[in-house]
Amino acid sequence: MFEFSYLKANSLSEAAAFVAAHPDAKLLAGGMTLLPTLKQRLAQPSHLVDVGRLPELGGIELKAGRLAIGAATRHHDVATSAVVRNAIPALAYLASHIGDPQVRNCGTLGGSVANNDPAADYPAAVLALDAIIVTTQREIAAADFFQGMFATALEAGEIIVRVLFPVPKRAAYEKFPHPASGYAMAGAFVAEMATGVRVAVTGAGPGVFRWSEAESALAQNLNVAAVDKLTLDATDLNEDFHATREYRANLAKVMTKRALQKMLATK
Amino acid sequence: MTDTHAANRREDLRLITGRGRYVADSNLPHQLHACFLRADRAHAEIVTINTEPALKCRGVVAVFTGADAIAANYKQFPNMMTFTNASGATILKPERPVLAHGKVRFVGEAVAMVVAESALAAQDALDAIAIVYRDLPVAVSVEDALAAGAAQLHANVPGNLCFEWDTGDAAAVERAFAKAAHVTRLTVVSQRVVPSPMELRGCLIGYDGASDSYDIYTNSQGILMMRWQFAALTGVPEEKLRFHLHDVGGSFGQRSAVYPEHAAQMIAAKKLGRPIKWVASRSECFLSDSHGRGIVMAGELALDRDSRFTAARYQFLCDMGAYLTPTGPASHVRNPAIGMTGVYRIPALHGNFKVVLTNTAPVAAYRGAGRPDVAYMVERLVDQAASELKIERDELRRRNFIPLDAFPYKTPTMGVYEASDFAGCLGKALQAADWNGFDPRREKSRKAGKLRGIGLSTVIEGTAAGMFPKDQVAIEFDAQGRLEVYTVSLSTGQSHETTFTEIVAQTLGVAPEAVTLRESVQGKNLSGNHSGGSRSLVGCGSVCKLAAQKLIEQAKPLAAEELELEPSQLDYADGAFRSRDGEKMIGLLELAKKLVGTNPHPLNLMAEASVGSTYPNGCHVAEVEIDPETGVTEILSYTAVDDAGIVINHSVVEGQVHGGVTQGAGQVFGEHAVYDRESGQLLTGSFSDYYMPRAGWIRDIHVNDHPLPSKVNVLGAKGAGESGCTASLPSLVSAVLDAVRPLGIQHLDMPLTPSKMWHAIQTAKAE
Repeated sequence: MFEFSYLKANSLSEAAAFVAAHPDAKLLAGGMTLLPTLKQRLAQPSHLVDVGRLPELGGIELKAGRLAIGAATRHHDVATSAVVRNAIPALAYLASHIGDPQVRNCGTLGGSVANNDPAADYPAAVLALDAIIVTTQREIAAADFFQGMFATALEAGEIIVRVLFPVPKRAAYEKFPHPASGYAMAGAFVAEMATGVRVAVTGAGPGVFRWSEAESALAQNLNVAAVDKLTLDATDLNEDFHATREYRANLAKVMTKRALQKMLATK
Repeated sequence: MTDTHAANRREDLRLITGRGRYVADSNLPHQLHACFLRADRAHAEIVTINTEPALKCRGVVAVFTGADAIAANYKQFPNMMTFTNASGATILKPERPVLAHGKVRFVGEAVAMVVAESALAAQDALDAIAIVYRDLPVAVSVEDALAAGAAQLHANVPGNLCFEWDTGDAAAVERAFAKAAHVTRLTVVSQRVVPSPMELRGCLIGYDGASDSYDIYTNSQGILMMRWQFAALTGVPEEKLRFHLHDVGGSFGQRSAVYPEHAAQMIAAKKLGRPIKWVASRSECFLSDSHGRGIVMAGELALDRDSRFTAARYQFLCDMGAYLTPTGPASHVRNPAIGMTGVYRIPALHGNFKVVLTNTAPVAAYRGAGRPDVAYMVERLVDQAASELKIERDELRRRNFIPLDAFPYKTPTMGVYEASDFAGCLGKALQAADWNGFDPRREKSRKAGKLRGIGLSTVIEGTAAGMFPKDQVAIEFDAQGRLEVYTVSLSTGQSHETTFTEIVAQTLGVAPEAVTLRESVQGKNLSGNHSGGSRSLVGCGSVCKLAAQKLIEQAKPLAAEELELEPSQLDYADGAFRSRDGEKMIGLLELAKKLVGTNPHPLNLMAEASVGSTYPNGCHVAEVEIDPETGVTEILSYTAVDDAGIVINHSVVEGQVHGGVTQGAGQVFGEHAVYDRESGQLLTGSFSDYYMPRAGWIRDIHVNDHPLPSKVNVLGAKGAGESGCTASLPSLVSAVLDAVRPLGIQHLDMPLTPSKMWHAIQTAKAE
């Protein structure tokens, strides 16, 4: 780990101003990605600005058909929140399967979304539910927010404040954990919204994406057989010594089927 | 003796409440901290190396390089491979300076050592060392290293072949194959793995100028083995090396050896006159701790018309990495050679071994040390023959087992097997696993869209013989008259504190709490072997019993004197000497307290024994279910029936078997040290990419004892440390292949990852 200065932010505006003025400063919330990166000396920030305990970034609230979750909310708190479990049980389920207990008790929603790890779980829910990312500067639609591997629409100094999840009729998430890391090798979030069924896939490609063929097929026939007939195009998926792109395409399909099956089993 | 299944081990409370003392916990006044700059490429000449900028960094005291290593005039790394081949050649030993000199030969090799006031300062300064490399071609696999025109690692090892050795009777094998009714051929790979004990490698070395001697704190499997290797490498006499060994968080063979970092720290400690501490990061351990396995094995089995084995021959290509470790060649050649016949009567055997260097981390003994590999080869051949001949796997085994009346059985190559009941173990295991009731279970899985398989292995391993000819144990009484047992062997997780004290306490008839175990203590003039090769109980444990028996004899005349009787008038039972008439008695521990003050304590003693090889064996049955949609294999149940000899403490044996089986499952389903063929970079350099077994993998495991006493030690023990690994590789793969053979899949190499299984099933379905 290289040397850095640690600062505890007193307010969101203070943190935003500091990060804007110091291009090599990094925000610290749960630190579940940042700290391992620092330990491996893969990053050398000048400052870590701790926003993990700012009240402005907390809170879980259901209002006007939308679930608002503060950016610094821990995965464990999402997983166990009665509000979340009633409104979007699939989201609570997803949060309860991120990493391990230590990660879930430290890691935050905002941190995960801002990092946009291509194998992270949350981006699948954010994209499938057509959520809105509220920042210190604006509101960004999920479709515009995620821009490929570790890339987002966030500008320098812009901080995620909360995420607004529209409450679906029903939804489900299934993932296949990477055998070594536990990250999603493929994860599928299926949501039945007022506008139709949306399917978002994480882990398999360079970033979270919607599987439009599956969505179209499900618009015709909302059943597992509709997906079973499809083959996800593997061309743009990830391939490494752990798994081929064809295997990942298969996993994405299998996880979609299993999520769908789970969703259809709920009233 | 007792089954303390419900009881905790004696060491548990201390270890799980953070009161263990590991290398990182040791500190010396005025210590400095070392950090190693490691090669970032697999094979290159070092053109220039400039350490000046690092010396200017904050907190840096000194930087050492290969030039310092050469100047120290250290000797060669010791090697336990002593035998010669048919042409009289011994193994070629490549030079290995303790810091790279002239060339680097694997990613992670230590090139320079920065010593600073803090570990962080030392690490920061690494980036300031400037090295110019000239890259050389790379060979990371044995096949590539042996190919014509391959990259040459060492000038004195032509063709990267350190040693070629043949064992058995090639001509007799040839004759048998010519007459065979059936021949089964199979090539299998026991892939390279990273042993990964929980405790990271580390070392603290202090130097005393007045006596020109060293104090050494490091992870170890036992004091004598370590001291011998340090002395052999550095040329420093053993009496000038003081070892301070405490708890060890796992070893698996990886902690048995002297490493280059040890010797580099000795150089620095002497030059700077201050203690030098180093604790590796996990990333460094992946790159530079010794790796395990790494053998490509080709086997052929000849059978007659009655499906009896008539001959077998094997070729072993052993990947040693870039340099030879002390245990690597012997464990990859001698141990497989002993196990080539498996548990079967095979009249003619031949094995050819090639010991090969590659641009990868050096390979050493790893839990089983060649025994799991050869058992895997033999058992895969037998399963394959059964499949080809359409004979049940258990039936083919029964037909070829070495029968009970054939023991002691001298194998056609090396080793004389002690009495073993292979058919008995098999029968017990098949019954416990409900082997005969499998078909309905397979059908049930099939209906759920799953592929279910059952597999077995029947294995034996020659273990327990150590490098030191004798194991000695001392019993001494401290200033309060408390009983202490001193051993050379050092527990690295094998529960010595529970088992050894139990042996002494039960022999004496006293409470185990009255006995304190002290292992690998500096200054005790004892000989004996380290923990490894499943030998601690067989060697050291049996001498604990002898020592306790000797104590009773030694105490008898003193007790008689105390009671004013003749020794012949006394009997010993339940911890006390009693007169025949029952009038007088004195407890052994009470007597010991009374004798405090006489120096040395008159009851102090040393016992010893020479303990030869034992042959733990057993039958394991695994049942698995594969999800063809994802390729995931679930282990549904696991049944082990082991002849570990006489069992002292079943729960300790069971713990060893659980660990061994799970570690084997790691190799079967995930573990694999993968190097990039072009660059020689380690692709699995962290737990994000290296697939370790998880605690929940094997939930339904049953461990049963089937003991036949060993005759080579007073306990009748055979050992249990490695059998779980040895039996689980073949049993688990047997189960997986059983599940997919109906699809036409005859062969798969480990690791059987979900991705590999899915592709295999897809390919089979397409054909």
